Amino acid sequence: MNSNHKRLSIGGRIDREQPVEFTFDGRSLIGYRGDTLASALLANGVTLVGRSFKYHRPRGIFSAGPEEPNALVTLATAGRRQPNLPATTLELEDGLVAESQNRWPSLAFDVQSINGLLAPFLSAGFYYKTFMGPTRRAWMFYEHFIRKAAGLGRAGSGHDPDRYDISHAFADVAIWGGGPAGLSAACAAATAGARVALIEQDFLLGGQLLAEQSDSAAAAWLRQAEAELESSETVTLMKRTTAFGIYDGNVIGLVEQRDPSNPQLAGEARQTFTMLRARSIVLATGAIERPMVFSNNDRPGVMLASAARSYLNRFAVLPGKKIIVATSNDGAWRAAFDLADAGAEVIVADVRAAPSTALAAEAGRLGVVVRAATRIVDLNGGHAVRRATLNGPDGQPEAACDLVCVSGGWSPTVHLTSHLGVKPQYRDDIGGFVPGAFPADRFGAGSMMGTYSTAGAIEDGHRAGIAAAWFCGKSMPVPAPSKLDLGETATALLREAPSIGRGKAFVDFQMDVTTGDIELAHREGYESVEHLKRYTTLGMGTDQGKTSNFAALASMAALRNATIPETGATTFRPPYTPVAIGALAGCAIGHHFKPIRRTPMHDWHMANGAEMIEVGLWMRPFFYRQSGRDSNEAYIAEMRSVRQAAGLMDISTLGKIDVQGPDAAIFLDRIYANGFAKLPVGRARYGVMLRDDGIVFDDGTTTRLAENRFFMTTSTAKAADVLSRLEFLLDTAWPDLRVAVTSVSDEWAAMSVAGPKSRAILSAAFPVLDVSDAAFAHMGLLESEWQGRALRILRLSYSGERAYEIYVGATAGEQLWSRLLEAGRPFDLKPYGVEALGALRVEKGHVAGPEIDGRTTLDDLGLGRMAGKRTGFVGDVLRRRPAFQAPDRQRLVGLECIEEGKRLRGGAILFLPGEKPYGHGRGRVTSVTFSPERGHYVGLALLAGDVASEGSEVVAVYPMKAETVRARIASPVFLDPQGERLHG
Amino acid sequence: MASPDFSLSVADCPLIQIEGWDGTLGQFEKSLSALLGTKLPDSVGETVRQKGLLVIRVAPRRLWLALDDGLEAPSLAVDPDLGCSVSLGEGRERFRMAGAHIAPVLSKCITVDWRAPAAAPGRAVLTSLHHVPVLFLRTGDAACELIVPRSFSRSLSDWIADAAG
Repeated sequence: MNSNHKRLSIGGRIDREQPVEFTFDGRSLIGYRGDTLASALLANGVTLVGRSFKYHRPRGIFSAGPEEPNALVTLATAGRRQPNLPATTLELEDGLVAESQNRWPSLAFDVQSINGLLAPFLSAGFYYKTFMGPTRRAWMFYEHFIRKAAGLGRAGSGHDPDRYDISHAFADVAIWGGGPAGLSAACAAATAGARVALIEQDFLLGGQLLAEQSDSAAAAWLRQAEAELESSETVTLMKRTTAFGIYDGNVIGLVEQRDPSNPQLAGEARQTFTMLRARSIVLATGAIERPMVFSNNDRPGVMLASAARSYLNRFAVLPGKKIIVATSNDGAWRAAFDLADAGAEVIVADVRAAPSTALAAEAGRLGVVVRAATRIVDLNGGHAVRRATLNGPDGQPEAACDLVCVSGGWSPTVHLTSHLGVKPQYRDDIGGFVPGAFPADRFGAGSMMGTYSTAGAIEDGHRAGIAAAWFCGKSMPVPAPSKLDLGETATALLREAPSIGRGKAFVDFQMDVTTGDIELAHREGYESVEHLKRYTTLGMGTDQGKTSNFAALASMAALRNATIPETGATTFRPPYTPVAIGALAGCAIGHHFKPIRRTPMHDWHMANGAEMIEVGLWMRPFFYRQSGRDSNEAYIAEMRSVRQAAGLMDISTLGKIDVQGPDAAIFLDRIYANGFAKLPVGRARYGVMLRDDGIVFDDGTTTRLAENRFFMTTSTAKAADVLSRLEFLLDTAWPDLRVAVTSVSDEWAAMSVAGPKSRAILSAAFPVLDVSDAAFAHMGLLESEWQGRALRILRLSYSGERAYEIYVGATAGEQLWSRLLEAGRPFDLKPYGVEALGALRVEKGHVAGPEIDGRTTLDDLGLGRMAGKRTGFVGDVLRRRPAFQAPDRQRLVGLECIEEGKRLRGGAILFLPGEKPYGHGRGRVTSVTFSPERGHYVGLALLAGDVASEGSEVVAVYPMKAETVRARIASPVFLDPQGERLHG
Repeated sequence: MASPDFSLSVADCPLIQIEGWDGTLGQFEKSLSALLGTKLPDSVGETVRQKGLLVIRVAPRRLWLALDDGLEAPSLAVDPDLGCSVSLGEGRERFRMAGAHIAPVLSKCITVDWRAPAAAPGRAVLTSLHHVPVLFLRTGDAACELIVPRSFSRSLSDWIADAAG
């Protein structure tokens, strides 16, 4: 255990009555409720917390918020392992186990820190220049080693023991940021009558006010605002919640962390991904302090001035005793004063020639040494900073130090405003980018808009809150906000140039990008900020360059002798901070990964030995275990059963669409390649639909139930796509047609009885129906009732055998299924699964999904005659384009395996005998089955038309299993080409 | 499932869909209103209750007639020149939910703002639950129904039960 020796005995917003135990790299330490991991580490004197990405340089805690580039840790508690988390945002909780990253064997002694010696070779573009040769494939060799060396933390591979949730939330006004501007906006919007959601990433509200002393006027103002919001019924306070992105329709992506201090939430989701929909948004996201660029500015002990003040006043941690505050503006002086007041020796090195007399007077009162027109040029120290070299009117004196606070000004946090395309605009008076013009439903407030004083931020927020509520039609009177003036002096900002000593001067700490890298990129022509970003990896770390972007832009602008607005800014994209994949998945894992569809006969299948398979979202019987010892044996047995007696198949998964209206026949004539207008009532027809580009879209049968009513079936896979397509065409292309299309897929249970004994079974099952050939011909319809529910029987065949499709109301599906099995028992009726179904259709040469794969035309599939010379249907024009008539276009053929003991495989590539098996070949095998009828494997294939002559041989190569087999080209119809069995 | 704060039950859902043609919509609505003996809901999401029948406008030209349990479907002879009807009662199931925790449970299921006027008692919203299209029907201050496709019913009721757990 350590002693919290840097913790002050009083002050701060921590609860000293609640100590919290945690470990860092195996060391047991103590913090307090209200600490972050970073503040607790600092309190315990831990200054070295990580290693840098490329050079493995030692790094310490740099900030106190989500902008942290250095102090990334891995949480590795109770089976979970989450890498790259900023210690500055981790709320301390009992039992927290944190590990440093990117080091071996230890943080203090990291072997790969040798990379620092190789730095001259590891400049920007190093990989691009070094690993591209000597051959084109060289990268494939190097990549393995580079990937191993790259990266920061490592994610775990075990099962994540945590639970995650997804939820939807709504508000009139969403307010991003719980600082003075956001709080003021929330109070105003709520008073105006709006339903408000206030989003704050921290576990405390207050933003910059938390860095004020806990007994100050700021603290009192904060308490009052918080109490007002907590008592309002229309305000939802979303603490521990990060807004990571904004999307169309004012949808805001939020991730909320569970409150670790609330034991009642122990079993709840660790993180909840919430999609918040708001009518208007107030952005009060604050600003991020910029570092200063000088040699070795990345040493542990270098910290943003605002962060040092936050650690002091919020967490009661004095992070150093000999402190240099290097600044270019007034803001950092407040940190200097507070640190001095807490007992530290402080030197202020201000790059400006003449800081204000008021500041100098206060410095004198507190014993702060002021060095004007002075900058740091270099730092000394390994695992902790020890000495600084200054450059000013006094020459280059060295000063001992254990903490260097830096402030190069402020950058408004415009990331989130950029997500929907609001371009940042440069404001010269504040030396930073602010959001450009907002759309009418979005408003900005506070330092994000360049208003850096607390009093101004409160006024700003108040106005924005009222405006946002007004946008939602909420306009109750709102009194003026409570004032709070912290006496901040105007920030006189000087844009300081990098000051380079002997060591590297870092611009992007996380990605190890230095001023030298930017100069190199400039020399090599990568002058655009977008090129600079990609060439140097600047801003591409998990912190998205929150602290580095501006310094890099300023450097490039100086190198190009251009202004900053001329140089431009890169585009910020979601997520603002990293989001765990688990949070995005929420509870859609395991059996909730996707919704499952069950047919009305599902329970029967489960109870009767079906091995189920997922087909899209549907669960379907693959085969029945009583049919054979494995799937191969079972499907062949089930095929034989259909061919020799009869089989019963659950086809409820077929898409079913009710098409009604006076213009229904015209509509079908336009969407099918073959005609339907003349189809008589009571008859069914096979139809094929094309896409606009002439490619086959889907096939199925459509039955005319009445003059104005049709019953369409589609393939299982395309059911939703077909309905969507029909609706689209009716809404856009032919709104004049009086047609209604409705999915009735769930309405009907459907089953197919196929085989030579199917008619006898039908007679037995429905003794009152006349199913004789005379009364019920092939492609005919028979409508009746069964058990008080509608019954439709279609005489259709997919297997090549006499067959009937039976449709009944879904609630009676399982009853009818059982009835058919009972009636079919004397005829040896057996259920069969989709594997046998697929095999039966291959034998018969029917095309299905593997052939209708989004690349084939009617002619490719041998169905061209269906369209004949018809015109006016979807896809009609483009199906006739010359490319589709090319002689080497792949066409449907049958293949018969001619090597004994070998088999064909779906996906095999086809070559001519003697051809080198390389590349895409002449075609591909699409579907295969063992054919009990033929006694060997047969298949369907798409083969180049100029070599597809029946009787000749091809070689089917299956590289996945290193198999090669000879096959003979045949007609795709392997069984009963005359169709006699349909009537047998 | 049932607890003091949340209950879920599943039942069949007798349902008829009626749709009118563009151009003759006024005539269609007049005729349908006479057939049902009630005025029709004016806009999408509105409902009208008539004895054991709930008339829901689910699209500008499309209405659903949801029947209370055990009620015989009315005989509706829609003039084919004005519109058409199709029965959907075999293919839908009705989830009835109630309890003090209904709003937080539903927030994990559907994108419907429980407090919005569009979701007030008597209103209907077509939305999706785990990517599946469902119809949300607000039936009371702390009660609602979801009309879901039968094939997804078990999967969706599991989802809701887990969200409530």
